[in-house]
Amino acid sequence: MPLLIQFLRAGARSLMIWAVALVAVLAMYLSFFPSLGGAASGMAALVDQLPESMVKAVGYDQISTGAGYAQSTFFGLLGFFLGTAAAVAWGTRAVAGDEESGMLELTLAHPVSRVQLVMERTLAIVIRLAALGVVLGLALAAMSGPFELELEGGHIVAVVSAWVLLTLTIATAALMGGAVFGSRIAALGIGAGVAVLAFLLNALGAQSEENAWMSDISPFSWAYGERPLAQGWDGGGLGLLAALAAVFVAIALLVFARRDLRS
Amino acid sequence: MTDVVVTTGLTKRYGSVLALDSLDLTIPEGTVLGVIGPNGAGKTTLMRLLVDVVRPTSGSLTVLGVEPRAGGKHLRGRIGYLPGEFHVEPGLSGQGHLTFWTSISPGDRARVHRRAQMMAERLDIPLERPARKLSKGNKQKLGLVQAFMHRPELLILDEPTSGLDPLVQQTFLELVSEARDDGATVLLSSHVLSEVEQAADLAVVLRSGRIVREASIEGLRATAVRHVRARLSDADAATVGRRLTDVSAGLDVTADGGDVLVSGLVQGNSDELVKVLAQFTVADLVLAEPDLEESVLAMYSDKEVV
Repeated sequence: MPLLIQFLRAGARSLMIWAVALVAVLAMYLSFFPSLGGAASGMAALVDQLPESMVKAVGYDQISTGAGYAQSTFFGLLGFFLGTAAAVAWGTRAVAGDEESGMLELTLAHPVSRVQLVMERTLAIVIRLAALGVVLGLALAAMSGPFELELEGGHIVAVVSAWVLLTLTIATAALMGGAVFGSRIAALGIGAGVAVLAFLLNALGAQSEENAWMSDISPFSWAYGERPLAQGWDGGGLGLLAALAAVFVAIALLVFARRDLRS
Repeated sequence: MTDVVVTTGLTKRYGSVLALDSLDLTIPEGTVLGVIGPNGAGKTTLMRLLVDVVRPTSGSLTVLGVEPRAGGKHLRGRIGYLPGEFHVEPGLSGQGHLTFWTSISPGDRARVHRRAQMMAERLDIPLERPARKLSKGNKQKLGLVQAFMHRPELLILDEPTSGLDPLVQQTFLELVSEARDDGATVLLSSHVLSEVEQAADLAVVLRSGRIVREASIEGLRATAVRHVRARLSDADAATVGRRLTDVSAGLDVTADGGDVLVSGLVQGNSDELVKVLAQFTVADLVLAEPDLEESVLAMYSDKEVV
């Protein structure tokens, strides 16, 4: 799979930087947990002071447990946005970036099919996000003890899987934007748009019973709605994420195989 | 002999822009065809259609006997393509590029890689440097290597000599004639004729997406315009002018003391012109080498100019 290897090689340094950034942010947030006193602290009281809608929006209602704290400060917030940034950057680069820079014309004039190009580059993004997931999981497992988070190993795997599939869905949205429109702006907009929409729908969906349908259609809720770090695997949510990513890739393949390359 | 490229009524539209207008073109096997035309004439569009980077709006085309889209990657493995705008991966070394192109080449990869190495040496490309530090000429040389390295049956080269110094242009001409000796068919484009003139057997002149001229290089030469300048003694300007209008209108005829001066451009065969001049006493005659550049420029600007 030459295209996969080439794409991975070209992005090796960026992968390393993202991994370091994610672990650094994770460590920074989690290190505060013991000093906040964990479960017995004034945290619960502090959260009570915040407007209820905000608490629900960012999921602070579980913040006094280690799992709830890691979820709402990292996976649901900065970890999500950092992951989204990496996913959108890679998804954009996969087709639109190379197309706009003129590299794709040459590659596709070689004995390489368009389907093969999209598939190998999608797979390369899967590998990168999975690598970030492994790094995050190991870091989280290593920090659980020292920072008194009391996380279960299986739950760590579950939340990291949710994070990987959520960011993958966003990456494939960006890739699809590029494959359909051949423009970096479109790829970026669609990737970031899906991420922001998923986040907002989740936040609004948590506000009231009437809004619950918003959570039902939010990929963010599919990933984290069942609190994987506290409760373990949510096969249904992960299945929905995988299915949506597959739909994005299918649309990318269908359109990209048929359209003209932009010059 | 089979035809390597056949297009019938090939039309390509980009929105409201008509890039190729019902083009009928046949390239027989083993020929080197030069496509000449000003920028925007449709040269690049034609080449991109042949490698299935863009698809025709209407009309049909076959490359090596297959429609490009149906031929897919197998067909593209038999083609070597140099895009008009050649881009490299900035962080990847020349060597890295050769390895990558080898990995997506058909056939015996070890042999393809060896050949790529040899070509790079012959063209004197500094392979260890990251591509972003290569000069325009060296990048273009890398582009030539990737087009030729797998000994394709059809070479499609868009402005292949742009950015190359004269010495390397000479090497390029050798590469083309070696490929032809191997049985390859070559399609190359340029906006200047002199580049095509040396490499090609046949030339096609494109303007506004149409073929305005299709001829052998020899044929182009035969119909090319030449500069003429003659001094006739014992003649009067009026008689000379009258007799000349029948064979070659548009020449300047002026009296200069007792002589008559004739000057201007003559197109094609100069036999008749010389015969008319010979009716007088020719004191001096200069008939220049055919100027292909000027004849092609004349075709460019002929009729409705877009």
